[in-house]
Amino acid sequence: MNLRYMAKELYYQRRRTMIAVFGLSIGIALLIILNALSLAYRQAAQIPLKEIGADITVQRAGDVPQELSGAVFPCSAVTIRKEEIERIRNLPGLRGMGKALLLWVFDPNRAWILLGIERENSIGPAVLKYSIAEGRFLEDGKSEALVEVAYANQYGVKVGDALSISGREFPVVGLVDASRATKIAVANVYLPLKEAEELAVVSKQLQSVSPYASGDVNLLFVKADQDKIASIASSMKTILGDRAAVATPDSFLKLLGSLFALSDKFTLAASLIAIVVAILIAFKTMAGNIAERAKEIGVLKAVGWTNRNVIFQLMGESVVQCFLAGVLGLFIALVATYGLSFMNVSIPIPWEMSPTPHFLPGGGDQIFKTLRLPVAVPWTLAIFAILLSVVIGGVTGGLLGRHISRIKPSEILRHD
Amino acid sequence: MINSSILSGVDLRKSYGALEVVKGVSIAVDPGEFVCLVGKSGCGKTTILSLLSGLEKPTQGIVTLGGKEITQSSEDELALFRRENVGFIFQSFNLIPTLSAWENVALPLFPMKIPQEQQRQRALEMLGKMELDQRTEHLPSALSGGEKQRVAIARALVNHPKIIFADEPTGNLDSATGEAIMSILQRLNDEEGVAILMVTHEVELAKTADRLIRMKDGEISS
Repeated sequence: MNLRYMAKELYYQRRRTMIAVFGLSIGIALLIILNALSLAYRQAAQIPLKEIGADITVQRAGDVPQELSGAVFPCSAVTIRKEEIERIRNLPGLRGMGKALLLWVFDPNRAWILLGIERENSIGPAVLKYSIAEGRFLEDGKSEALVEVAYANQYGVKVGDALSISGREFPVVGLVDASRATKIAVANVYLPLKEAEELAVVSKQLQSVSPYASGDVNLLFVKADQDKIASIASSMKTILGDRAAVATPDSFLKLLGSLFALSDKFTLAASLIAIVVAILIAFKTMAGNIAERAKEIGVLKAVGWTNRNVIFQLMGESVVQCFLAGVLGLFIALVATYGLSFMNVSIPIPWEMSPTPHFLPGGGDQIFKTLRLPVAVPWTLAIFAILLSVVIGGVTGGLLGRHISRIKPSEILRHD
Repeated sequence: MINSSILSGVDLRKSYGALEVVKGVSIAVDPGEFVCLVGKSGCGKTTILSLLSGLEKPTQGIVTLGGKEITQSSEDELALFRRENVGFIFQSFNLIPTLSAWENVALPLFPMKIPQEQQRQRALEMLGKMELDQRTEHLPSALSGGEKQRVAIARALVNHPKIIFADEPTGNLDSATGEAIMSILQRLNDEEGVAILMVTHEVELAKTADRLIRMKDGEISS
């Protein structure tokens, strides 16, 4: 392969080179954008759970309390027993677990959404310790409360105040900003898990609907190996029965409703179409280019170039053109994905995961987690696209070179 | 005669389907000889040139070039053989439009493992012989017809061939330029001792050759 000849051919035949490069770059850009979008939706679907350090959340639906007084379970989250928790904990691929106890407390003058949380855990609502806006987080063995900032502002609650919940006093030691946490973990008041358990144990209303013992919970947050999420979710449903509600990134992905979110197969099919289009464009433009050069090839062969010399020369030109197309395609895709990254996506949160009683004003409204679509081109995708361009160039150039190198120079040169 | 020849073709025949274009032609060229093949258009002289130079295989007959029988050689073997032993000059020059004059001259050397600077020096030397020292970096589009043909002659000479095949080398040139090209070929033949087999339909031009072979309807007529 003669690099000088190759460079001059590409430079002086600029129109030809540009058409080939632009044509293929569109296919490559499409491929990158489609995959980046698909990836972005997948990442977006993980965010509601990731914000509380989990890959899966689990709860179990139950009956509606007969009377709304004292502490009750929401009908979407009733008891998950200790034994069931232990069985889930032993599932293969499970890396960690967080627990919480969600209660609705109906006192004569006020209703509370109350979440009993663990003090130390990187999984589940315990991560709210990093969202303290004022005061401090809960301390070990103390009977105290955190209040969500928006709720505190609405009702004038301050650090140092005392809340009376189901006849028990809880000093407010901090205000927590749960707005950045997923909607799943938003409550009015946060108590140590043990305190919430005690409220649940003594509640007759609660016990009558869903028998509860200390150590049981009604919300589980699970961290799992990424490739085991589906199988763990399935096992959890088996353990907890038909009424279990298991949320995974895939279930959020389905709720997104985008074509990209609906199915891997769509992205795969669209990617394949983009690749085929790219190959066809490369093949068609290069076939046209090479056909125009039949006489030149005849001259090369007449002056002593072997078929192999001709093939390698044309293959080299094709690889360089396709490499340039890959780089240009990547650039186009980077610009396009930058533009798309300003797009907002609203992920609907299933009603059963909303802690707000649906019978309260606004409680039945669909809630969404709205976020910027995290579109980016991962370096692996960028490298794959460039490599693919080079491979397309090599294969196209090789096939066309092989075809054109078979021409007999006498046939071409005889028409002088 | 055949043994001392640089080139010989014995009983060459070439058919395209039912059409026999070359009908049992035998021809030989000695080292340093300038032979002209003359005939009207369509008489088969270009086909003979293609058969003798290994650009095309005969339907029947044997071609020996530089002592090697090339009739049974593969396409790549023929290409390598041409690279080392043969030079071509075509009617329409057939220069590569994107390469400069010196690069066109060095074209047969590109696939060889010769350093680029050495290739360039050899090409410049040949262009010097063609008195084109000032045109080495020009693209073919910037050269006159006569200059293009001189570049093509330099290309034919760059691999120090034993024989040059020239197919109507003056066909696209005015008479003055054609004469100049003929005198260059004559000089090469005299001074460098390169054998030349030239095809032309102009009998006047052919008279400058050592020997003249007339063709008619695929056969040698005299």
